Amino acid sequence: MATPAALPPLPFNPSRVRSYVLRLPLFTRLVLLAIIVFWLLELQTVWSVKQWGSLIPEEINIGTMYRLNTYPFIHFGFFHAFLNLLALTPLLERFEAEHGTLTAVALFFGPLSTFPAGAYIVIERFVLHRNTEVFGASVWVFLLLGSEAIRTFKSNPYFSLGPYKIPTWTSPLFACGLVSIFVQNASLLGHLCAIFVGYLFGLGYLKVFVPPEKVLRWIEGKLNLLGRLPHYVSVDQKTFGRYGVLPTTTAGSERATPMSYLGSSQRLAAIRKLRSNPHFLFVHLPHILSFICIVAGVVWLLLLPLNDYSRQTYISENALLPGQVHAYFSGSEQHIFRGYKKELEAILGRQTPSGQDNRNEEFTPAVSDKIQSILRAAGLKVATQKYEYTSSGITHQGQNVYAIIQAPRGDATEAIVLVAAWKTADDELNLNGVSLALTLAGYFKRWSLWSKDIIFVFPPDSKSGTQAWIDAYHDMQPAFVQPLPLKSGALQGGLVIEYPFDHRFESLHILYDGVNGQLPNLDLFNTAVSIAGGQMGIGSNLQEMWDHNDSYEMRLQTILRGMVKQGFGYATGAHSSFMPYHIDAITLQPKGDGWQDEMALGRTIEGLCRSLNNLLEHLHQSFFFYLLMQTNRFVSIGTYLPSAMLIAGNFTIMAIALWLRTGYYTGLEQTAVKPPVTAEETNKQAATLTEKSGANTAQQPAVKTDSSSIIERQLALPLTLVVSLHLLGLVPLYIFNNINHQYYPTATYASIAINAILPTVLAASLTRGLTTTPRDQSQQSLLIKSFSLLVLGLFLSTLATLNFSLSFMIGLLCTPLSFVNRIDPRTASRPVRSVLAVVGLVLLNVLSPPVVLLGACWYSGVDVETVLTQAAFGWDVWGMWTQVVVWCVWWPAWVTGCALLEFSLF
Amino acid sequence: MGVDRRKAAVFGGALALRLLLLVLFPSLPDLLTGRVEASTPVTSFKRLQEGLFLYTRNVSPYDGGVFHQAPLLLPIFSLLPSSPGFPFPTVVLYSLIDLINANALITIAESGWAVSGRSYSAIRKHIRWDGVTIAAWFLFNPFTIATCLGRSTAVFTSTGILYALASAVTGKTFNSMLALGFASYLSIYPALLYIPLMLLCYDQRAQTAKTCPSTTVFALQHLAIFVLSIAGLLGVSALLIGDFKAFVSATYGFQLLVPDLTPNVGLWWYFFIEIFDSFREFFLGVFWLHLASYMGGLSIRLRRQPLFVLSSLLGIFAVFKPYPSISDASLYFALLPLYRHLFPLMRYTFFAVSALLYATLLGPAFYHLWIYAGSGNANFFYAITLVWSLGLSILLADTIFAALRDEWEYDNPEVRGKDVKQV
Repeated sequence: MATPAALPPLPFNPSRVRSYVLRLPLFTRLVLLAIIVFWLLELQTVWSVKQWGSLIPEEINIGTMYRLNTYPFIHFGFFHAFLNLLALTPLLERFEAEHGTLTAVALFFGPLSTFPAGAYIVIERFVLHRNTEVFGASVWVFLLLGSEAIRTFKSNPYFSLGPYKIPTWTSPLFACGLVSIFVQNASLLGHLCAIFVGYLFGLGYLKVFVPPEKVLRWIEGKLNLLGRLPHYVSVDQKTFGRYGVLPTTTAGSERATPMSYLGSSQRLAAIRKLRSNPHFLFVHLPHILSFICIVAGVVWLLLLPLNDYSRQTYISENALLPGQVHAYFSGSEQHIFRGYKKELEAILGRQTPSGQDNRNEEFTPAVSDKIQSILRAAGLKVATQKYEYTSSGITHQGQNVYAIIQAPRGDATEAIVLVAAWKTADDELNLNGVSLALTLAGYFKRWSLWSKDIIFVFPPDSKSGTQAWIDAYHDMQPAFVQPLPLKSGALQGGLVIEYPFDHRFESLHILYDGVNGQLPNLDLFNTAVSIAGGQMGIGSNLQEMWDHNDSYEMRLQTILRGMVKQGFGYATGAHSSFMPYHIDAITLQPKGDGWQDEMALGRTIEGLCRSLNNLLEHLHQSFFFYLLMQTNRFVSIGTYLPSAMLIAGNFTIMAIALWLRTGYYTGLEQTAVKPPVTAEETNKQAATLTEKSGANTAQQPAVKTDSSSIIERQLALPLTLVVSLHLLGLVPLYIFNNINHQYYPTATYASIAINAILPTVLAASLTRGLTTTPRDQSQQSLLIKSFSLLVLGLFLSTLATLNFSLSFMIGLLCTPLSFVNRIDPRTASRPVRSVLAVVGLVLLNVLSPPVVLLGACWYSGVDVETVLTQAAFGWDVWGMWTQVVVWCVWWPAWVTGCALLEFSLF
Repeated sequence: MGVDRRKAAVFGGALALRLLLLVLFPSLPDLLTGRVEASTPVTSFKRLQEGLFLYTRNVSPYDGGVFHQAPLLLPIFSLLPSSPGFPFPTVVLYSLIDLINANALITIAESGWAVSGRSYSAIRKHIRWDGVTIAAWFLFNPFTIATCLGRSTAVFTSTGILYALASAVTGKTFNSMLALGFASYLSIYPALLYIPLMLLCYDQRAQTAKTCPSTTVFALQHLAIFVLSIAGLLGVSALLIGDFKAFVSATYGFQLLVPDLTPNVGLWWYFFIEIFDSFREFFLGVFWLHLASYMGGLSIRLRRQPLFVLSSLLGIFAVFKPYPSISDASLYFALLPLYRHLFPLMRYTFFAVSALLYATLLGPAFYHLWIYAGSGNANFFYAITLVWSLGLSILLADTIFAALRDEWEYDNPEVRGKDVKQV
């Protein structure tokens, strides 16, 4: 075990960087300045610097020879310039320090920029017959790397990689290859030319171009350059012989470059330094890594809307053939539609004056009978189903009417469902939708081409009716839902029709989110978009993005809206209930005021049914996990999953690091512990056969019988605490799903209060109840955090595969828990600790589950009671498990974090 | 008396927990019975019921190719009331079997054979848990509970194995061989434990008896007992079923030739789905040889710790068996706490445990994505079974390393406490 006695400074030392920058020699400074100036010049649009100065093979003639010298200064944008600056500075600085400023000027304005440029032009123009322009200082970077590599080769000919010996001069080629792979638009040829010239220079073939020393001295003396110019490197000041080999360490020189070249020895040294700095390795590094993971996860998500990371949608299942058939639904069907609508309106009009207060007041037996008689008249088999759900003291009941068209060309093994609920997802009367479905039922019945049964379902509302129906269809219904008297084959797809207004519409809004974040196959969505857009000329929207101009912001907003819906996991419409049974379904909602009428919607549905009718097997070709950002662009799971995994991974990294820390590293203050205390402690520990640490055993070697220097960990308490907190989460889960809806706000406020008290009680009882040494306490608090984060990471990464958005959101809300710690009493005095802990606690309490719920409700202007009632309804009826994640994953982790902070108060 | 009270508390708690789970979640046993992680074609309770149905109606239980378990289970289970109507008695029976297993574990732990043997004694033998703690680890292990509620018949095999060990360490070598015969009769693979178990018996005899019996005679004697016990059980089974050939091919043939490739937590099913049929026999041979080859190697290398060889072999079986389930893992995890003294030497416990936890959570999730949601495929689940096997293998390799290291320190006292690198 390393002793933490002498702590070397961090590898990245700001003061060293500052002194390094201040010592940069003259020519290097000028070059850097020129690059920055040219970059700034590019920001204006009047005069294109690139056009003026870059190396364009065909533009080179006598008058434009200046391009041979200007192209290294010109860059493509900030990142290009910045990265090249970073790479060039140490190399150029070293070159200048070795050769002197004058030589550097002579070489870099002469052969070292013209030769690669010349070679490039010759090859590009006369061999490859192309005309790719190049610019950027990377040419110098690779040139200098080439010459350095030759020198390394002379002193240190091979890397040994196992049995293989790789000559060191090839290293710039590898670098060049890597750059071409990772950086778009990197000119491989340009870089190779530069490396080639660098090799020539390194081998000394370009010696002739170096001005003779005598001349240089003369110029220097005459002009008194040394006196006049700051940071000038004189001919005689050169650090090392002109073409000699650099010693690997510059003895006593302050100028040792902190940037490593390609040689690996310095990297290894950095790692070795890390190992001798356990505080950094065990305390700082995990925090840095965790933080990087979180930032990378968020940035990853923000990158998704870009064209490079998203894809154009496409129909993957060939059998669908969307829009390939002519839709005949028109003409006389419109009269039938109007007739049905009038009949229904008449019945509805008769009963509205009675003004019942029932939720499903439209769906009286009279209406139900009417629908049944219409369907029967059309020649369909009709059946009804009654259901009744009770959730948070509210009863939802109703009667589903449904009818089946038996396939003329099928054997009742497969079916398509069309749903028209009396109430839309937004609780509007869906009169047009129902009439349209009735019309379609009669119309479809007359066709002989169906190879799948078509089922028409008319539930009274969009929330519970379809759920009752689909549960009963699969014989999974609860006791208070009637079984279905009439059934058909396996459902292949579902379409929900909504048309809650009387005027014409402009575009179709497609709802696709299912319960618990499950999504229908992307092919179904694509088919709907392509039939609506391609065949009918109806535009489509998604996620309530009415004016989507395909900009980055709009795309991101669409993705985020989709993620929020997916994360909450509630049913967005009647189609959502189908998803848990692996039946792909979508809702079509007409929106806006345009010139499309109900016949256009009917034709779209006809087209969709014809496509589904073509299916030979269940939709499986396309994606089930995707984020849509536009009707025709999406990101697939492989691209977006890493962002949630990175967030979840941050907890795992921290957990592993804490585990290692409890075993290998006890903290900075170890050396400060007084010897008698240590001895006493060690004796005690020897008796109880527990811990051994490096410093202690060094003083008492006799005690050390254990071969490993691993400190024994006391696992019982942390394990019990974490497991029981997770089990305790079942209590609020039960309460929030089972009490009457009017008590929800009270319960929320009560849970906020309990959240404030519970960690304090935990912390107090744990500190009082345990009569262990301070070190054991600190170990145990670290272990508690480790286990809690391990479990959190475990659950979140599992969840990411099931419901990406929920995992991402909860992961983000939990990120502070990675960094919350018990503040060690040995590092901070009591008042400081108290203040820090209280501030931290206040911040953490803002991020507690109930407070976040209240905040979200306040932000979106929804009532807490409504949200919680809906959630309980989801739990009881839809089988939604968002609450389980909140109360059994998020809340225990949060309580643990708070309890750890509270520990510092005691 | 104090210890007894603790034991009673642990046993009572375990029994109460199982019954409580049954009462609180009445659908849990059926759910677990259907899980591929908990029940395999050769241990499934559902298939046992099918066999039972045929048996009680005087049809050969092996008709229809669903039932592949040993015939002697049938008369035992036909005594119980039918499980769908009265789940209680079955669960009580399985819970009692768990308690019997735990009792055997206590016997093994208290004999001290895990820490010291005839010619060897662990250096850190003061770091150990007592029998009741080890029994508690076994009884409250979620995998054990899941196996118990899933009513997998693998628990009977576990009982056989644990009793074989318990009898061996207490010197009842005859009983030990009988118990191993019973376990092998139920599911072939415990027969591979014969050699290390014989060594354990021999060590035990040599330590207690004045005169050492001749090794060859001892081995042959016990082999005879072992073979005769199996033969006796097979004879009774033949009397019971009538058609000897049919039942042997349906049970042992099924276990050896692995025709049912239902997914499980092991490595065989995916491999044999993917493989070309013409290579099937060859790879079947290779897989079985591979499984059997550990027995010789470990017995020779760790000759001085036969009980450790037995535990490690059980861990290896949990990974490489044709139809492994979490019950095999739970048997291995039951024996692991006997080696508490090796824990300080183990290096990757956290990673192995994390891998196992990840696999435990992700396995059902991916299975769900594959089978129910239809949005994943077989590779999802197989990848997780690989992680599971990896976790178990890391744990195994780590314990074996620790045992070897312990042995090495015992042989070379001067190197104690020095850092050693494995190359």
